[in-house]
Order: sequence, then C-alpha cells, then structure tokens
Amino acid sequence: MSDNYEPNIVAFLCNWCSYAGADLAGTSRVQYPANIQVIRVMCSGRVNPLYVMNALQQGADGVLVSGCHPGDCHYMEGNFYARRRLGMLKDLMEFVGVDPKRFHMSWVSASEGHKWKEVVEKTVEDAREAGPFEGFRRRQIDW
Amino acid sequence: MDLEQLRKTAAEVVARDDVKYLIGWKKGSYGYRVAPVFVEDAAGVAELIFSPLCTANLTTYLTLVEKTPLPRGQEADKRKVALMVKGCDSRAVVQLLVEKGIHREEVIVIGCPCPGVVDQSLLVEKYGDTEEPVEVKWNGDGFMLVRGGEEIKIPRDEVLAEKCRLCRYPNPVISDHLIGAEVEKWSPAEDSGVSELDAKDVDGRWEYWEEQFNKCIRCYSCRNVCPLCYCQDCILDRLNPTWINRAVNFSENTAFNISRAFHLAGRCIECGECERVCPANIPLGKINRKMAREVREKYGFEPGLDPEAEPFQASFKPDDPEDFIL
Ligand code: SF4
Ligand code: SF4
Ligand code: SF4
Repeated sequence: MSDNYEPNIVAFLCNWCSYAGADLAGTSRVQYPANIQVIRVMCSGRVNPLYVMNALQQGADGVLVSGCHPGDCHYMEGNFYARRRLGMLKDLMEFVGVDPKRFHMSWVSASEGHKWKEVVEKTVEDAREAGPFEGFRRRQIDW
Repeated sequence: MDLEQLRKTAAEVVARDDVKYLIGWKKGSYGYRVAPVFVEDAAGVAELIFSPLCTANLTTYLTLVEKTPLPRGQEADKRKVALMVKGCDSRAVVQLLVEKGIHREEVIVIGCPCPGVVDQSLLVEKYGDTEEPVEVKWNGDGFMLVRGGEEIKIPRDEVLAEKCRLCRYPNPVISDHLIGAEVEKWSPAEDSGVSELDAKDVDGRWEYWEEQFNKCIRCYSCRNVCPLCYCQDCILDRLNPTWINRAVNFSENTAFNISRAFHLAGRCIECGECERVCPANIPLGKINRKMAREVREKYGFEPGLDPEAEPFQASFKPDDPEDFIL
C-alpha cells in the first residue's frame, strides 16, 4: 500500500433520509472526504446484498449503506428488512474473511448533515486501514 | 427400522386414488450405493429400504418436478406426492411449507425416525469400497456391515456423518405416518469446525476460504441438490443483469459462494447435502452452520420447525440487533 492510497467507497443512500442528509451536508458546506461515490436508491431495503458484493468486486474498497432511522422509513419498514439482511451479510462476510471495516451501515436522517460527515469519515478511515481490496477484484479483460 | 411396517404403510399410501407416487430409497446398483425410487403401485414397495446409507434428502424432488404450462382444456394433476423423510429432511419439508414452495395438501410425509446415517466416504476409507452387494444396518449403538456373509461391527463414531453428530432433530418434525418409534435424541457434538474458524482472525479466515473457494469448479451441484434452492429464476443463471460472471476464478467463486450461503441464511436446515455432493470437497456445511448459529443466537429463529412461521429474511422484529450500525 502506497502512502497516498485513497480508498474507493461506494455508498448506497436512501432517497428520503440519507441522500437528503448528504445533500444538506453539501448545502451547509460541511467538509467531508471525497472518497465516496453515492448511489441513490429509493430505500435501504432495496439494497440487494449482491450490490455490496458487486461493488467490492468492481473496485470498491469499502461499502456504506445508509437509510432512515428505524421508524422513520418512508415506506414504513424497509429499513427494518435492510437491518436484518445486511446485518447477516456483514456476519457472513466476516466469517469468510472480509474485513468488517469494509462494510458499514448507518442511519442518517435528512437533518443530520453533521452525522453524515462523521459516518463518511469513519467509513473512509476504516477502509483506509483495511487497505486496497485487490484480492477480490473481478478479472478485467482488455480486449 | 421396521421394514415391514414401512412397506405396509407405503403400499397403503400408494394404493390411494389421490396419490401420484411415493418417493423413497432403494438399493443402488452396487456396493454401498443407494438410489431414490419413485413407487407408483403396490408392486414397487418391495424395493423400499431405510438404512444408514440413506443419506440423500429426497425433499429436493418435490421442487425439482418441472411444472410446464398445461395445454388448454387439460386439468392439472392434483394428486399428492408421498415422501420418505428423516429428521433433517422433514425440516426441509416444513421450510418449503413456510415459503409456500409446496402446500400441505400436496404431500404425504412418511416420517422415519433416524438414529444417524453413515458418511460413505468414511466408510470407504476405513472398510474399503466394494462392488459386491452389501448391507449396512443399525446395530445397537453403532452400525453393522454385512459383506460376503461376514458381519463387521462398526463403532458409531467411526463412520457417523458429520451432520448427524451435530443433529438436534433426529425425529421428523412433521409426518403423516411415522414408521417405528421415535429415537432418543443424543446431545449434539460441539461444532468444532465453525468454532475453530471463528477463533482465527479475519485474515486467517480469508486465507482458509481462499484456498477452499479456489477449488470450486462452479458445477452448481450444491445448488441443484439443495431442497431449498428452487428459484425458477436463479441469480446464477441470469444474464441480464449478470450478477455473477460465469468465469471460474477466485473473485467470482467467492461472490457465488457468499451469495449461495446468504440466500440460505435462515432457511438452510443443515441436511448437509450440498457438502456431500461437492466434487471439490469444499466444507460448505461450515458456512451454513455458521449462519444458522448466528440466526439462532442473534435473532432467536430456527428454520424448518414451525410451518406457520414467517420466512426469516422476509420478516423483521423491531428489536433486531443493530449494534453494528453507525
Ligand atoms: S458443488 Fe462445490 S464445486 Fe460445485 S459449485 Fe458448489 S461449491 Fe463449487
Ligand atoms: S444449503 Fe446444504 S445443508 Fe442447507 S438445506 Fe441446502 S443442501 Fe441442505
Ligand atoms: S442460489 Fe439463490 S437464487 Fe439461486 S436457487 Fe439458490 S436461493 Fe435461489
């Protein structure tokens, strides 16, 4: 790992809370690391565990999934499903030997621009510690 | 095991008008082999056996049947399928009921209380393979191998399958006809395979699974044999989107193995079939049992016990653990 290594983070944010929260952080000029690539989904419950796997295969060093706080889901219960499924995915990946620092989940509401900054900092910091995830990259063929 | 009672019950069941066939085990073509058999009339029941060699989980056949569209004007065949199950197999039936993969009125469950089956590879390793017709029986605490008129007593622990050492439900959890008396439960062995891996650090585990997953040839036998891998549109077969490339390399193999295990988390009933059929000898059971343990300890759920339960991954509790969430 070189000294100027910058981790790639893919973040799946729910449209109603976390995306708005990240937006608020932007409009309030809150500074946070630029390592994050945001993908907006309608609900954290929409995040298929395969998205996480694909992101890691395609070049991400860490993945973040963020949704509304329990009880605040725009679709009432989507984030509860996400919590159960992705919690299990985290356990499974850990058992297979994927560093738990590479996958995080958070609740960030539309008004928590500052929490968003903290979450991103923590995610990036952890991914930096874990280092590049070269071992799991999808084989790219240059024709 | 009372073979006479089994055959008598089977004959009664297949004689019924509303029964299509009975799925059971019969002697295979040679040696230790056992094959599945579809019995359609009373003449076929003489072939049925139940012995320590009946490892296969026949529940798979319930979902393997292809349901082709019916020609116009033709009525669907609504007759029931009868099925012989051991303890673990019966949990697969319950899990299928939970998922509405089958309906209760479509099956007749013939429960066979199971004192534990043998691991054929251990048997071959210790006592040699053979092409002669042989018999393996339960014998008190262990097994008895009858080969060429010779009777060899085998201690139970020597050839008992791993899943049986860990088994918590040797008696069918669901049945319409129970063959013989329920067996006494034994205390399941400590799952050292999982604990040993748990004790390693992440890099140690990655190394271990890297070696294992590198062996995978992506034959998908583990999926095909699993009674609970019955999606008509499996992600592994999909091209659009291609979730997992067909290339056989470490990255894709790992993604495939994680996905398979994830899809079975909270559903796998630990019948051990996937591991048994894996030509690369990948210890898939360890992953499955690890997930089963997490689901049991963290979420207080065990699949395949209550037909009225909600499917684990399609439900939630407001107080599910969330200590991992930032
Ligand atoms: S049975 Fe074994 S080799 Fe075949 S796809 Fe499954 S894990 Fe891979
Ligand atoms: S994953 Fe393996 S042990 Fe679990 S139900 Fe399927 S075949 Fe049986
Ligand atoms: S691997 Fe997943 S998608 Fe494929 S049959 Fe099994 S559960 Fe269904």
